[in-house]
Amino acid sequence: MPEIKVTPLGAGQDVGRSCILVSIAGKNVMLDCGMHMGYNDDRRFPDFSYITQNGRLTDFLDCVIISHFHLDHCGALPYFSEMVGYDGPIYMTHPTKAICPILLEDYRKITVDKKGETNFFTSQMIKDCMKKVVAVHLHQTVQVDEELEIKAYYAGHVLGAAMFQIKVGCESVVYTVSMHSSSYRCAAWIDKCRPDLLITESTYATTIRDSKRCRERDFLKKVHETVERGGKVLIPVFALGRAQELCILLETFWERMNLKAPIYFSTGLTEKANHYYKLFITWTNQKIRKTFVQRNMFEFKHIKAFDRAFADNPGPMVVFATPGMLHAGQSLQIFRKWAGNEKNMVIMPGYCVQGTVGHKILSGQRKLEMEGRQILEVKMQVEYMSFSAHADAKGIMQLIRQAEPRNVLLVHGEAKKMEFLKQKIEQEFHVNCYMPANGETTTIFTNPSIPVDISLGLLKRETAIGLLPDAKKPKLMHGTLIMKDNSFRLVSPEQALKELGLAEHQLRFTCRVHIQDPRKEHETVLRVYNHLKGVLKDYSVQHLPDGSITVESILIQATAHSEDQGTKVLLVSWTYQDEELGSYLTSLLKKGLPQSTS
Amino acid sequence: MSPRGRRAMSRACARLLPRVCAALADPRQPGSDDTCLEKMLDWFRELREAEPTVKLLRDNPCLTEFFTAVLALPEPEPNVLSFTLRLAGIVAAVEDSFMHLQQLELLARLFGEDGPLNSAAWEDASVRSGWVEGVHSMVQHQSALHFICSGGGIDVIFTLQGDPSLFVASAACRLLVHLLTLSVGSELTVPLNAKDCDWPACAHMIIRHIEESLQSNSASHIKQSLKLLTSLFGSCQAPWTKVLWLGMAKQVESFLTEDSVQAQHILADLLLNMARSPVFHDTEGSFWALVTSALEHLTPVQSSPLAVGILRLHRCPQVVRIKALTVLLQPMDCILRAAFQPLEYAGLLDESVSDPSAVESLLSSKSSCASLLCQTLAHLEELLSVVFLPVNLPYASLLRSVVTILQFCNGLLIPASPLGSKISQILVGCFRVQKSALDALAALSDRKCSDTVVGSLFDVLLAYLESPNTTPTVLKKSFKAMSKWLMSLPGMSFFKNQQQTEKTLQDVFLVLQKRLCSPCWEVRDSSLEFLTNLIRNLRDHDEFRQSLLSSEVPKLTENLLEDPESYVRASAVTAMGHLAFITYFFVPESPVAGNQYNKEKTVAKLQEILSTDPEGFPRRAVMNVFTMWLKESCTGQLEETEQFVSTVVQTTAHDLDWEVKLGCLELVQIFCNHMFCRFGLPECPYAPISSAVTSSICQNEPLQIFCRANLFSFLFRSLCDCDKPVGQKACDILLALKSHFCQSSTTDLQGPGDLSAGHGIHWLQGTLRQGSLVQNFPTDDGNGVDFQDPESMMLALRTIDLVELHNDLNKCSDYVEKSPQSLLEDILATVGTAEENEADCY
Repeated sequence: MPEIKVTPLGAGQDVGRSCILVSIAGKNVMLDCGMHMGYNDDRRFPDFSYITQNGRLTDFLDCVIISHFHLDHCGALPYFSEMVGYDGPIYMTHPTKAICPILLEDYRKITVDKKGETNFFTSQMIKDCMKKVVAVHLHQTVQVDEELEIKAYYAGHVLGAAMFQIKVGCESVVYTVSMHSSSYRCAAWIDKCRPDLLITESTYATTIRDSKRCRERDFLKKVHETVERGGKVLIPVFALGRAQELCILLETFWERMNLKAPIYFSTGLTEKANHYYKLFITWTNQKIRKTFVQRNMFEFKHIKAFDRAFADNPGPMVVFATPGMLHAGQSLQIFRKWAGNEKNMVIMPGYCVQGTVGHKILSGQRKLEMEGRQILEVKMQVEYMSFSAHADAKGIMQLIRQAEPRNVLLVHGEAKKMEFLKQKIEQEFHVNCYMPANGETTTIFTNPSIPVDISLGLLKRETAIGLLPDAKKPKLMHGTLIMKDNSFRLVSPEQALKELGLAEHQLRFTCRVHIQDPRKEHETVLRVYNHLKGVLKDYSVQHLPDGSITVESILIQATAHSEDQGTKVLLVSWTYQDEELGSYLTSLLKKGLPQSTS
Repeated sequence: MSPRGRRAMSRACARLLPRVCAALADPRQPGSDDTCLEKMLDWFRELREAEPTVKLLRDNPCLTEFFTAVLALPEPEPNVLSFTLRLAGIVAAVEDSFMHLQQLELLARLFGEDGPLNSAAWEDASVRSGWVEGVHSMVQHQSALHFICSGGGIDVIFTLQGDPSLFVASAACRLLVHLLTLSVGSELTVPLNAKDCDWPACAHMIIRHIEESLQSNSASHIKQSLKLLTSLFGSCQAPWTKVLWLGMAKQVESFLTEDSVQAQHILADLLLNMARSPVFHDTEGSFWALVTSALEHLTPVQSSPLAVGILRLHRCPQVVRIKALTVLLQPMDCILRAAFQPLEYAGLLDESVSDPSAVESLLSSKSSCASLLCQTLAHLEELLSVVFLPVNLPYASLLRSVVTILQFCNGLLIPASPLGSKISQILVGCFRVQKSALDALAALSDRKCSDTVVGSLFDVLLAYLESPNTTPTVLKKSFKAMSKWLMSLPGMSFFKNQQQTEKTLQDVFLVLQKRLCSPCWEVRDSSLEFLTNLIRNLRDHDEFRQSLLSSEVPKLTENLLEDPESYVRASAVTAMGHLAFITYFFVPESPVAGNQYNKEKTVAKLQEILSTDPEGFPRRAVMNVFTMWLKESCTGQLEETEQFVSTVVQTTAHDLDWEVKLGCLELVQIFCNHMFCRFGLPECPYAPISSAVTSSICQNEPLQIFCRANLFSFLFRSLCDCDKPVGQKACDILLALKSHFCQSSTTDLQGPGDLSAGHGIHWLQGTLRQGSLVQNFPTDDGNGVDFQDPESMMLALRTIDLVELHNDLNKCSDYVEKSPQSLLEDILATVGTAEENEADCY
């Protein structure tokens, strides 16, 4: 039975380093190739040695698909392609291809050069890896090889994020990150493609999240209050993603409120990121596109490039600085300067891994030990605001309603929350829902419908027999299936014989029935004939001159048993077309002849 | 502090640990982040490794309380339970702790039948994984081994070999290997006879399990045992493994021809691991006969990995080696036979020893042709990369076959033979095979081959470089193969035919011109990298220089300095930097150079990129070029170089990219070394040491130059850079300068010095002391430090404790991040806040 196999190497019942292996109709695809930022050793990457026990990765995997640019989805890609040795095709959307190297480079710099870690990819490797990437357009069907095709759909998660449909023959899988529409992205959309399997993230599987607008209002209020009382606001960010989203918010708010406090961006990297947001304006939602005609939303009037000296300037200001977890560089430097003043505020807009200053202050620690055992007392206000673009349970349910998958598989979420969503999905949609742990293989049996061409002759004959075909209702057709040159055709048996140059053979079933009857053979035959004539009134029962009986195509002959003359052997034979009648007759005769028959 | 002492549990940690344990065992608290738990286990492993006899349990009773508390929970969190099992395993690896746990009757509740393995929690893969890992850590001594083998644990492990989780199954297999090795290794004096062998109890159980599985009808059980043997023979080369093998050899051999088991791939792995172990080399030929039989019976795809492994072995019978070589070369031989008439080319293998029918049928099938060729080509590439390959490959024929495959792939060759025509139809436009063939072709470049093959090789490569159907990835590999073959030209007879060489080079530059104008940035970038590589290796060859300079390539390269893509701009900068060696640095009399190439213009252009390019890559590339030029002494006379360095330093001082700054510091370092060489300081071993030159002049001349070039300002400010590597590098350079300039007055090194010469040094000293901590070098210049005054700088070098600064800078923020105390504090602090800081994408 055809099957689809899914094995998560990462993101199975957890969040971090997504990497899912899918095996569909003999093709092997890897979905995402993420990194876990919480580790400083090989554990940060998925264990690729489990992909195949024999042979080279490049021979085994038909392609790698990257859903979006977040590092937990693409962070291990240069390691995989340049250090582990995968040399096959990699697919992602154009914006993802443009933005990926910025984030990878950003992270590499921190990891390799600052911490002196080895076994990590270099700048050249990032470039070489990106050169291997094939960028795809939305709704473009990409033929990976003759059988395997992929198609990207818009997923509003972050700029460039895509759902991917993977199709081999009539079997298909859809993989999607959580989709969510936001102030600058349009809502996700997918065909009613009825895949055999939908693999979806479930990060906020139990939550119906506050409206985005609420969180945005809260953010602006906090920034505004701090600036009003003369404080400074630090927003540690990664170069891309949330930074742009928050910049649009502040820019618009500053404009509306006519605020004068300066807003700064701290690195050159972000300029490039902004450039890409401008470049891929078509990926943003209609409102933004409309505004863009009047004014480029990404060309900020209030937001200026940051110089290190500005941090010492008196008066209020807002600074976006990298990295986002406050573990090194510019953001940490500014944090140290401002931490001692209770008028200031730091807003952490994203997740921080253990060990980072970001993690410590978010968990409420206010006395931090820095280098040289110096204690930094944090008096500034600390706020956490999630602007994550993951879908909540409602979004995921909508997606299932839209795509109508036959099976659902949940990844990228916590086990307990997944369990809740799993039950909800199974109850509401009556489809199987799976949530494999990392390393566990889920096998889904598919029932592929195979398209078959029907010959015109057969179609005419069938319609002549029955009623006119109703296009909306399925109809059962009988014929001979010819499988030739990768195509399937249903034709009449005669045509099949003709095409294949074969002669027709009659297939007959035979059965011997023993009857106790001491009379002569012809008398026994006559008794049988009379009995059948009486029982099978609607059938043509004939007694032939050679002593045999026919009932339709069924032939009955009687002989005396060689060893026991009192026993007569009835030889019953019939064609497969009359199998039902033949079986009935046999069972009838086995019951014996009635006494009165003569 | 000794490394051991540093790893011992600090008092602070010992104080925190009970609270952490209590929090983790508290079901009301939200579960802790898995990474924290992993890091805690790392810490305990370190503790155990540092002090194998440490009595963790007795010193920290909170640990046993923790185990008890977790085991008492009706529904423990799977991740906490898994953590508990793994932690208990680490702790129980010390026999004393093991005994302690046993006394408390905790062992059976953790790893025995009273434990999680009979509870609902066992359904969770992470719990099973924790159990296996825990047992693996624990079984380091006989008591633990006995506990597992006699308490039914071994049967659990046998079952887990077939676990639905790949991770658990594979960990169970590794665990069995560990148990077997430990059991035999510690007890057995090996009798080298399978019949008499009296295995220790635990080993006996495992061996019986392997034997029974191999004799069973279950394909999955057979595979599990074969994997176990593969893993065992791969990791243990003790003589007893041979005894073990002899008892199973016949059974294993039967699987070679047993299609229903489908274990051929594992068998190939098993035999390869055995072939690598010297233990099996003297089994009266029976082992090698089995290998030969495998090479014969397995399909080409299955046997090829085994063949490659065999060919890399130095100790192997010649007949097996020939068999392996036949397996590997068969597809290439078929390619040649399919492409050429028998009289035209003889093929790679003697038909009498090889039966090509299986390979021919694979090559003529659409589904298998590309896979077989890709695998074979990759294996050939692997062999070609081995420095001391114990076998001679027929390089010329191989080259011809690879070239033939490439010709098939782009439709250059359509042979008349039915097989040839079929293969060419399958391969045309096949990128996968193109890439593998180009890799193999590049690997063949340092082998001697005949002119005729090489001629057609360049034709094929040029065709790939020219063809619009060549994808960017295939093009990159074509460039790589082309550059490797061009670089090999000087060593070949082909090179003596100058006309042909010039023609080839002209053709290459023509196609390069076209590719430099490609709309695809990947192609432009690969083209520039190709150019840089060629110049780097061939710049001393006249024919190469002439062909390059008479083409449009230099002009187009210069244009690409303005490319919209920063990767391309950076590659153009690098290429221009190398081009300079040909255009003006080392060619004073070159007739073509003339005025067309202007050094000043190039330098000015690169300076402009350094100061204005909005992205880091091009600026970093400029720094690399400048450093390279300075290393090769291409920056002119002393004054000119001084001016050059000074300008670069001033431009870079305010760069936001710390890698650019780091590049500049390297430039400064080289410049300093050059100056010391020039003025005869002992740093440079080849420097002229003249007795007439007084010591003071030797010291002062470079000092004055450094002051004039404003290096000190840059170096001292860099000490306070927010990016640590910058500060560290600057400190290294300043320390070196100090050792040069202050060597005659060592008494002053640590003292306050004569501060009357520069009152600002006090301030500088204070600022740096603070600055290394807060990383804040004030921009206010009214501090009284004259960074261009040699005396002040001399005083600064003497006065400031650079060694202490250096130590401070080396304590990077990782000191905080990685300390166990920080980890424990974070876990405690996170309790209750985990819901807020939700897991998320980053």
